Amino acid sequence: MNQGMRLTGRAALLAASALASVVVLGPIIWALSTSLKSDNHIFAVPPRLIPDEPTLMHFQRLVAEGVQWSFLNSAFYTVVSVAFAVAVGGTAGYALVRYPVPAKRALLVLFMGVMSIPSYALLLPTQVIFVRLGIFDTRLALPILYAAHVIPFAVWMTRAHFATVPRELEQAALVDGYSRFEAVWKVIIPGARPALIAAAAFGFLYAWNDYITATTMVESPDLRTLPVALIFFQGFHGRDWGALMAGVVIATLPPIVLFLVYRRYLIGGFSEGSVKG
Amino acid sequence: MVSVPASGTTPFTRSIEDAARAGRRVGTTLVGPAVLVVIAVNILPAFFGFYSSLRKIFFFGDEGFAGLDNFRSLFADPLTWEAIGRSLIFTFGALALAVPLALLAALAVRELGARGRILLTILLVPWAMSPIVVALLWKWILLPSPGGLFASILATFGMPPANLLSNPTWAMPTVIAVAVWRTFAFAAIILTAGLGQIPKDLYKAAAVDGLTAMERFSRITVPLLAPSILIVLSMLTISYFNEVQVIIGLTSGGPIHSTTTLAYQLYLTGFVELDQGRGNAIAVVMFLINLVLIVGYVQLLGNKKGGEG
Repeated sequence: MNQGMRLTGRAALLAASALASVVVLGPIIWALSTSLKSDNHIFAVPPRLIPDEPTLMHFQRLVAEGVQWSFLNSAFYTVVSVAFAVAVGGTAGYALVRYPVPAKRALLVLFMGVMSIPSYALLLPTQVIFVRLGIFDTRLALPILYAAHVIPFAVWMTRAHFATVPRELEQAALVDGYSRFEAVWKVIIPGARPALIAAAAFGFLYAWNDYITATTMVESPDLRTLPVALIFFQGFHGRDWGALMAGVVIATLPPIVLFLVYRRYLIGGFSEGSVKG
Repeated sequence: MVSVPASGTTPFTRSIEDAARAGRRVGTTLVGPAVLVVIAVNILPAFFGFYSSLRKIFFFGDEGFAGLDNFRSLFADPLTWEAIGRSLIFTFGALALAVPLALLAALAVRELGARGRILLTILLVPWAMSPIVVALLWKWILLPSPGGLFASILATFGMPPANLLSNPTWAMPTVIAVAVWRTFAFAAIILTAGLGQIPKDLYKAAAVDGLTAMERFSRITVPLLAPSILIVLSMLTISYFNEVQVIIGLTSGGPIHSTTTLAYQLYLTGFVELDQGRGNAIAVVMFLINLVLIVGYVQLLGNKKGGEG
């Protein structure tokens, strides 16, 4: 009896999980399917999940429109800002654990407080400042803003991690005749790997997926990011759902692959932070 | 940790002081860049925003001091109050949907054991996507014409296509649902971590005492999960209150202002109409509401932790 109830409960749980997975993944798979159908199959009734004659015409269409340049812009902004943020934030996180930094507590409050300021409310004054400084609509605008958003996260994730790595390990490396630089390169950075990966993956998702910063800080077509280019494309070809879904697929593939590869670090980074914080 | 040169001539205390000073210098040098970037890009614009809200600024041209004029005209406009109301509906509507879903997901992840990790990964996929791309995707799903996925599902139940996004009653719930679709699993990460902290022995003891599953949930899970639930509530509240990208992508604030939240009003006034004085006044109002929400949650969280510790 009890056993039976247990099995029923288990079956219900699996059924609910399967339903949730369909609701979550279904739309994404549908977009992929649409992107591979030719125009006269897209509106077929009843709808078909597997394209009859799969075609890459929508992807070719996007390439003809020059979307690959926006893709490269997005990649450039993302890589530059993440590399900078992880280097600067990781260094600060390390120093906050290992060195007697003046006003340490105030600095920690600063980094924590900045994380809770929604960056959106700062965009308008930032835009006015960037226009006056001549940074508006340049290749510098977005890396600066993305890096500044990611740095506090990198500080917090690496700081929490360095606090758990015994400093004896580094001292042993120095005693063994490693130079300071060698100790950093061979002992400290490998030791902080999970935190650095978590911070970098978070930074990648933030920078790559942003639309609102990119659309307000950059105007020139040749500086556009991929999401901005897609919204412009939609403005001109709003009914070209095949090409639009091809754009959705191109914009979504890199972050989803990154998430699947580094999910352990990302989930670990956020769950550790919430349990300890 | 800072290597002290072993010179026999310097007095011992002196060399320790030197080392401490050198340590502070190195520490400051290493922390410096991060602090400078954060202050320059996150703190200074906040002050500049307050300053600009007191000035008349159009199309990047500063036309001088305006006192509280921007705020006066803002609060005299009934649309502002409606936008604040819609922001609260959006924020708390999304919370009311996301938090129970995240809790259910976290419980399912725990019950499923090893397979639970697969479920969590699947549910998190939309969180890895761009909000504006998610909006574009859902616009296609919800397209009210034959062949659209949602319209086809309705058709199998014998219902006509529904144009949710251009219906003033349904636009807001639809936008909320799409925002929740992207974000609820993020809350499930934190709740799963919280559930992992609850000792399993408690459940065994409760089972021995003859508590039903419902009683175990209300007497063990909910009270011990409360701190994690508060963290989730605070993170999601701030994120939903400032959500603008999904709204830009799905409805552009329409139809007939029905999805114009304060965040969207800021976008419209500041970035589209380029009324930067008034836009900054909206940003200041948003900033203050954010502050009230953050302080409120910190207070709640502090009480909770203090009460248990």
